[in-house]
Amino acid sequence: MTEQILTTRMEAHPADSNTLRRYEATGGYNTLRKALVEMSPEQITAEVKAANLRGRGGAGFPAGVKWGFLAPAEPHYLVINGDESEPGTFKDRQLLERDPHQLIEGIILSSYALGVNHSFIYIRGEYPRPARRVQRAVEEAYAAGYLGDDVLGSGFSLDVTVHLGAGAYICGEETALLNSLEGRRGEPRLKPPFPAVEGLYARPTIVNNVETISNIPWIVANGGAAYDAIGPEGSRGTRMFSLSGHVARPGNYEIVMGMSWRDLIYEVGGGVRDGNALKCWIPGGASAPWFTPAVLDEPVTLDDTGRLGSMLGSGAVVVMDETTNVVAAALSIVKFFSHESCGQCTPCREGTTWLQRILERILAGHGREADIGLLLDVCDNISPGLRWPPAQTTICPLGPSVVSPITSIMKHFRPEVEAMIRQAAPAGV
Amino acid sequence: MTWPAEIQARAEAIVARYPEPRSAVMPLLYLAMRQEGSLTLDGMRQVAGYTGLTSVQVESVASFYSMYKRESVGDYIVSVCTSISCHLLGGEEVLGAVADEAGVPSGKTGADGLFSVESVECIGACGGAPAVQVNYELVEGVTSESGRRLCRWLADDRPQVVTSDHMQAEFGGMRSFEWGPDESEGATGPVPAFGPLGTSGQPS
Amino acid sequence: MSERVKITLDGREVEVDAGTLLIQAAQDAGTYVPRFCWHSRMEPVGKCRMCLVEVEGPRGTTLTTSCTMSVNDGMVVHTASDTVRKAQEGVLEFLLINHPLDCPVCDRGGECPLQDQTMAHGPGESRYVEEKRHYEKPIPISDLVLLDRERCILCARCVRFSDEISGDPLIEFIDRGNYTQVNTFPDEPFASYFSGNTVQICPVGALTATPYRFRARPWDLEAVESTCSGCSVGCRVSVQASQNEILRLLGVDVEATNHGWLCDKGRFGFQHLAAPERLTTPLLRGDDGELHEASWGDALDRAAAGLATIVESSGEDAVAGLGGSRNTNEEALAFERLMRHTIGTPHLDARMGDALDVTLLAAGPRRGLIGDLERAATILVWGPDLKEELPVLFLRVRRAAAELGATLVVVHPRANGLDSNADHIVRYRPGEGGALLERLAAGEGDLGGVRAALDEGPVVAIVGRTGLTEDSNLAGAVAGFAAELSDSSVLAVSRRPNLYGAVDMGVAPGMGPGRVGDDPGRDADGILEGLGDGSVKGLVLLGSDPAGDHPSGTAGRAISQAEFVVSIDLFLNDSNRGADVVLPTAGFAEVEGTMTNLEGRVQKVNRLVPAPGQARPANEILADLAHRLGETWESSAAESLGAAISTLAPYADVSWQALDFGTGRDGIVARGSELEFSVQNVDKSIGNGLSLHLGRVLYDLGTAVTMGPSLAKLAPRPILYLHPDDAASLGVIKGDRVELTGSAGSAVIDAALDPSLAAGTVYLPFNLGTTVGSDPSVTVEKAT
Ligand SMILES: Cc1cc2nc3c(=O)[nH]c(=O)nc-3n(C[C@H](O)[C@H](O)[C@H](O)COP(=O)(O)O)c2cc1C
Ligand code: SF4
Ligand code: FES
Repeated sequence: MTEQILTTRMEAHPADSNTLRRYEATGGYNTLRKALVEMSPEQITAEVKAANLRGRGGAGFPAGVKWGFLAPAEPHYLVINGDESEPGTFKDRQLLERDPHQLIEGIILSSYALGVNHSFIYIRGEYPRPARRVQRAVEEAYAAGYLGDDVLGSGFSLDVTVHLGAGAYICGEETALLNSLEGRRGEPRLKPPFPAVEGLYARPTIVNNVETISNIPWIVANGGAAYDAIGPEGSRGTRMFSLSGHVARPGNYEIVMGMSWRDLIYEVGGGVRDGNALKCWIPGGASAPWFTPAVLDEPVTLDDTGRLGSMLGSGAVVVMDETTNVVAAALSIVKFFSHESCGQCTPCREGTTWLQRILERILAGHGREADIGLLLDVCDNISPGLRWPPAQTTICPLGPSVVSPITSIMKHFRPEVEAMIRQAAPAGV
Repeated sequence: MTWPAEIQARAEAIVARYPEPRSAVMPLLYLAMRQEGSLTLDGMRQVAGYTGLTSVQVESVASFYSMYKRESVGDYIVSVCTSISCHLLGGEEVLGAVADEAGVPSGKTGADGLFSVESVECIGACGGAPAVQVNYELVEGVTSESGRRLCRWLADDRPQVVTSDHMQAEFGGMRSFEWGPDESEGATGPVPAFGPLGTSGQPS
Repeated sequence: MSERVKITLDGREVEVDAGTLLIQAAQDAGTYVPRFCWHSRMEPVGKCRMCLVEVEGPRGTTLTTSCTMSVNDGMVVHTASDTVRKAQEGVLEFLLINHPLDCPVCDRGGECPLQDQTMAHGPGESRYVEEKRHYEKPIPISDLVLLDRERCILCARCVRFSDEISGDPLIEFIDRGNYTQVNTFPDEPFASYFSGNTVQICPVGALTATPYRFRARPWDLEAVESTCSGCSVGCRVSVQASQNEILRLLGVDVEATNHGWLCDKGRFGFQHLAAPERLTTPLLRGDDGELHEASWGDALDRAAAGLATIVESSGEDAVAGLGGSRNTNEEALAFERLMRHTIGTPHLDARMGDALDVTLLAAGPRRGLIGDLERAATILVWGPDLKEELPVLFLRVRRAAAELGATLVVVHPRANGLDSNADHIVRYRPGEGGALLERLAAGEGDLGGVRAALDEGPVVAIVGRTGLTEDSNLAGAVAGFAAELSDSSVLAVSRRPNLYGAVDMGVAPGMGPGRVGDDPGRDADGILEGLGDGSVKGLVLLGSDPAGDHPSGTAGRAISQAEFVVSIDLFLNDSNRGADVVLPTAGFAEVEGTMTNLEGRVQKVNRLVPAPGQARPANEILADLAHRLGETWESSAAESLGAAISTLAPYADVSWQALDFGTGRDGIVARGSELEFSVQNVDKSIGNGLSLHLGRVLYDLGTAVTMGPSLAKLAPRPILYLHPDDAASLGVIKGDRVELTGSAGSAVIDAALDPSLAAGTVYLPFNLGTTVGSDPSVTVEKAT
């Protein structure tokens, strides 16, 4: 089995890995106790930098570097992004439900390093159970003196507030999340200013993903260098992958990056269901362009995936087998983005819906010859040049995300789309 | 209309959790929805009062989010995921079966106020697709058949509290991951079950 | 002077102001980037995405919205590359797919940026074959504004204006994504004093104003720039008419005053000019005691004869003049000439018992400018509720506090429009202002923080009468205090549109044209007293209605005791219904001239339409009267009166030519040396009773409101507001009827509670039909 940083405890103790008792019994909060006495905030930041931990929320931005951008003005905040809504992704849910104290210890260490005295955990509204478990863990941590005034007698104080979303994917985008946390519509903000300069309540704010921060206790305990020694350059450490779709053994897997896609899908995921042939897969959540078996032997790393014109994103691998109607699959994703567009930007608001209508029409047997060109041109008006990484005519990357499934089916399965249109459009139409 | 004293106290406690009152809008909207079963004009006005916003500012926020329901909903909201992973494994069929069994088309609430049925975007249960939520409590690995049974159970038993663990054991299949210990708490109504909102409970 | 930087704009090097937004910089350099959501007076949101341009960077060019990016030195920008064109055309197509394209029936047709862009760059034929979004066609969201959501392009201008600029966030986005729409709360209309601005800045025809709806097409309109004469702020407007009828006013963006905004009373008040009640012929009182239509010749003869008779029998001193604050400077000067020179009386006043000391109005200490607010560290507002009385000044103060970070101190008897932006709120009972001022100056007790804030300059003090029961000397005392603060400037405010100009023209007791001292005379209160005791027998009213406007509530009775009254007015009112001669005069946009705003800024008002019937400019009427009284003026024309004004010392060089809007000047401030004025002992006794706060509301029973069909329904019902403690001790609850008794009588009126009042204070809105006098001491009892 591969090395595990995040999931060892929950696998060893399925009955109570979420409790404070179990967390402490397996060494939990020892790192915090030590760090508060022996380490300065700067030293912790230095370890996180040295770890080369890249964000697990989707963009893969190095956490240590981001922390370095935090403006000094007081007060400032740490916000944990637990909005996890990218279709195909369910790894944060497991971390929240099964090991909330690991996250909380990560939050305390990070807050101590960043000089933060109030931190927020934003959990999507459809996750009441993870939210309850985290809330209970937060209460336990307060009762045990890990949170609140004067944490463990160190003089450092920290409050943690658990905040529940209410059904809006876009709130995963960090500035939309901050608006939502401020009691506003979850509309992404213009950047700059970046949250590290003007975030929550216009104060300097660090936003990190649940998984990113769950790594912090291990990094502080074992040193950044030890983390940096795991996995290939640019994709250090272990990471949670959510496998779903037509894969034989769907689930979350914590793996060291660098293995091939073949190994990930066939070894880890047990291959395609019913022994069917693999048609294609999405390597990193609904926003990512699709891969086909031609790249099965490429390594699973952030940089290689980017080089091949897609991204690891949130670590959601969605497998599609030979039976898949790719137009219907693309429509499912396009419909998602249309439904989840915040509506600010004209191209995203109007474009996603237009694309959805065209695909629905094609699927309903009313496709037109011009539709392929039209689909691609509408995409081009949202993401000019249809290149990777995408250019955008929008404020945030959600708009361009809608392009991925369409360009993917056009690139890899155009004859299927054409056939569907032709079949639908008898002569004369 | 004003809220009962106990609810007012809860609202004040929620406001106190945040550095700025406006941040309390979202939890207060849940609280308001809880009072009347849906988010009424009066509910939004109450929230405006606690947060220093105008009513329309509250409505603007509320209407942005899918989970705040401005029309009255059933005792049980059955949400069926049709996003990509569930789509690939038959989410739409499950939706059809559930809607049929509940006698309520997707996106609607039955006249008797028992069920609301909706198709929802990814609920983070892709490893256990197709996934369904009842009052936001999750069941994974649902089939058309088990989805129908789930609806029948709700209609026959009218449980006061629905819990994921119970539903998973009775109607679920493949899960995204091992869930760990049983969670005794569940939802006491069509508002997500979260401690500080007073919406969770234990089955008797 | 701001710093300049060089950027390369479409291959040409241009110099622009550092730090400006690219869209503005390009425009300054002559390149117009299309836009919908951006508005220069609001924070950019970059959401329509129309203004995309390409900016070169280290890693190639990126498409970016020019409304959200500031220029920096060396920036290389392409506004017309193929990529930019394609992107902009794409955005336009997206905007059009759901747009109804009902331009032929849309008020915006012909002046619509979306239509213009579509003509210029739009796709010839729609590629969108699906169903468009549908909404219920225009829904009224207030008495003045209609909303058509199908036309809306979701630029958020109205939403941002209401939230950022006016502070009335009553219109918002509802729903999300493709379902996003603008709307108000179901049972809370868009009741904002500033709603008309959203109609003006809506880039399409989604928001339309009921008064203008379907009235004209833009190409049929004639327009002239002018100055709003709704109040003394002096907002710049474009007056637009078709077939000699004014159809709308639009705000013009002027840095000195209104930043492009108008209040709804200013914007829609013009409707009263076309009211059927408007006077169109002279009226003479006949032997039957009724007013009858008459010729100008007969009317003027009679007016002159009546006045001459009084002068003969009782002396010049027995004639007095009231009014002039709604007229132009030229008309006011003619009034002054007639009264002081032709007739020879020192008794004339443009104030109406509600204003400030004339020296304070004309050239108070450290007289400031509205623009000073932009630099203020601290702002003291101890005066009227600006939102109700000087709405656009309210916007400027709000901006200074909300956007520019000034510390705002508001002293007022009750909650007012600025409270939500105030750092310090001080309440007091009318009648106790003098004592409060002493405590404030000393920084006593809880006023320490306020005092400390006032030591942080630059300070702008806006002083005026908080209400009509307030001692008129209090504002002077506050102004005197404020003038002593370091780095301070003072705006002494009073609301009548050209009060400052009329006073400068000498329509004031003891002060002649050009702010020079003259023989002491009676002020408005004194004149009314004189009418009462018979020492004043003849009265000339110029555009004034003391019976309705004088807060004492006794003016009507006084006027009825006059032997002879001449009124020059637009309408019949309670003051001139009993007059001997009523002469119809021209109003706003019917005369040319100048007005002086509360800063002393002189600005042009221009003529666009003829006056109705036989109505004439007041200066001509007054000259004819003078002629009949034996004095022939060289010229009665407004222009030559204007020339005469420009020879008065503070108005030197303030000629019509210099004021022409074509010069690009924001008017000219008539400066002058500060006048001496003494701070008086201010407190009135309020004994053990309740203290009355008599405050104005924007929509009252004045003619601008009641004579215009759109505004008429907006005046609220009169209600007496009580502090809950006082209400409790009187056994009164909301909705009860109470009897209010003041210096001029009693009235029975509905009661409501207002916890923002200082205990012991009751509040009655002025000029809503209930008058009990202007003494602060009143009693209230539950009516049986
Ligand atoms: C449309 C959109 C949706 C996103 N959704 C999520 C999400 O659900 N969870 C998350 O952690 N990050 C999400 N992100 C990324 C966040 O903006 C942000 O980069 C991340 O939370 C930073 O944390 P990290 O650096 O630890 O990854 C999303 C980004 C975009 C543009
Ligand atoms: S791209 Fe879409 S989701 Fe992102 S800000 Fe614009 S409209 Fe909103
Ligand atoms: S004008 Fe720049 S995005 Fe609208």
